[in-house]
Amino acid sequence: MSTVITPRDPLTQAQGVEAGYAQTARRWPAQPLVRRPHSLSELSGPRVQGRLAEIRGDLAGYGATRAIGQLIRLRVRVVDEDGAPVPGAVVEAWHCNAAGKYIHPNDTHDAPVDPNFYGAARMVAGDSGLVELRTIKPGAYPVPDTNGWWRPPHVHFSVWGRVWLSRLVTQMFFPGEPLNEADAILNAIRDPGARGRCIARLTPSKTTELVYEYQLVVRGRKASPGMP
Amino acid sequence: MKRLVPTAEMTLGPFFPPEFAQGLNDLAPGAAHAVEITGRVTELDGKPLDNVIVEIWQADAAGRYGSPDFPGWGRAATDARGEYRFRTIRPGAAAGRAPHINFLILYSGLMRQLQTVMFFETSNDPVLHAVDASRRDRLVAQKTSPASYRFDIRLRGGEETPFFDD
Repeated sequence: MSTVITPRDPLTQAQGVEAGYAQTARRWPAQPLVRRPHSLSELSGPRVQGRLAEIRGDLAGYGATRAIGQLIRLRVRVVDEDGAPVPGAVVEAWHCNAAGKYIHPNDTHDAPVDPNFYGAARMVAGDSGLVELRTIKPGAYPVPDTNGWWRPPHVHFSVWGRVWLSRLVTQMFFPGEPLNEADAILNAIRDPGARGRCIARLTPSKTTELVYEYQLVVRGRKASPGMP
Repeated sequence: MKRLVPTAEMTLGPFFPPEFAQGLNDLAPGAAHAVEITGRVTELDGKPLDNVIVEIWQADAAGRYGSPDFPGWGRAATDARGEYRFRTIRPGAAAGRAPHINFLILYSGLMRQLQTVMFFETSNDPVLHAVDASRRDRLVAQKTSPASYRFDIRLRGGEETPFFDD
């Protein structure tokens, strides 16, 4: 079954240069992007499972004792535009600790490192397209050299779908966070519905973990007979 | 028919785990006829960018995608001089296409992935020809030795690399 990719919708996808996010004006191309015809080169894709091993599906329990913070479980389903699950989808996730600190040389924020937390995991979806990550809720942190921009708690995802053009890199947010309202990255998505879908849903939990459900929709739908 | 809207893309940010980009830039371990592709990624004013994530996807020597003995995918991060490096094989021509390598750029300040394509020589290719004639040479790598190519990527500003939208 072949895959069809249709152009991005400017309301549901960011457009490049954002007034509240200074680096975009130095890095996003000034020339308009070029539309191209698609061939097997764009509409086939790598099977990255062979090169990218699963690592750390449990970030909260990785250290000698449990990581500090609110224990959470993320249930993330990877589907295509038809709503069909993408079995075998590889999902990379990374986020900061409960104090808003990343273990990364670029992070200069004066917040403590948690020796029992390392915020990077890679998962492979099963037949239902589902991946699960047990971790702690990330904190908020200020963005250096900005006039009071604080990133709300968020989790980064990098996802491989069915074909090369299905590649998705995004961020997931948490419900009820006041910082969501002013975040330059989340609000680069103009359509309120699309923005809302970037916020996870808290679901009832009878365990010691707060459970959040989320859906990652990768680009592509099945070509149907008669489609141009 | 039900149609879901693709999830909004957002920037990789400045804190992509370094371990995710290690050990993935050699697509052809042990291959006798490998080529090396290097290049510098720069922003406005030609400033080189550190830790840019560059991913590539290409056909095998016979022009086939996803062949079991050649996965065709790799990932590299730029160093402090903005340089990335891949070791791979020169792809064959797939049906209707000239030999080429797909490039995907992810970085802090890029709200969406950027896609471009490297060609080995000026060729009659439908994707190369989608670009204005005055800018096509920026998608053709410079051959620096019999087995090495240079493909610089200028995100914005003078001699800007053409990028594709799909």
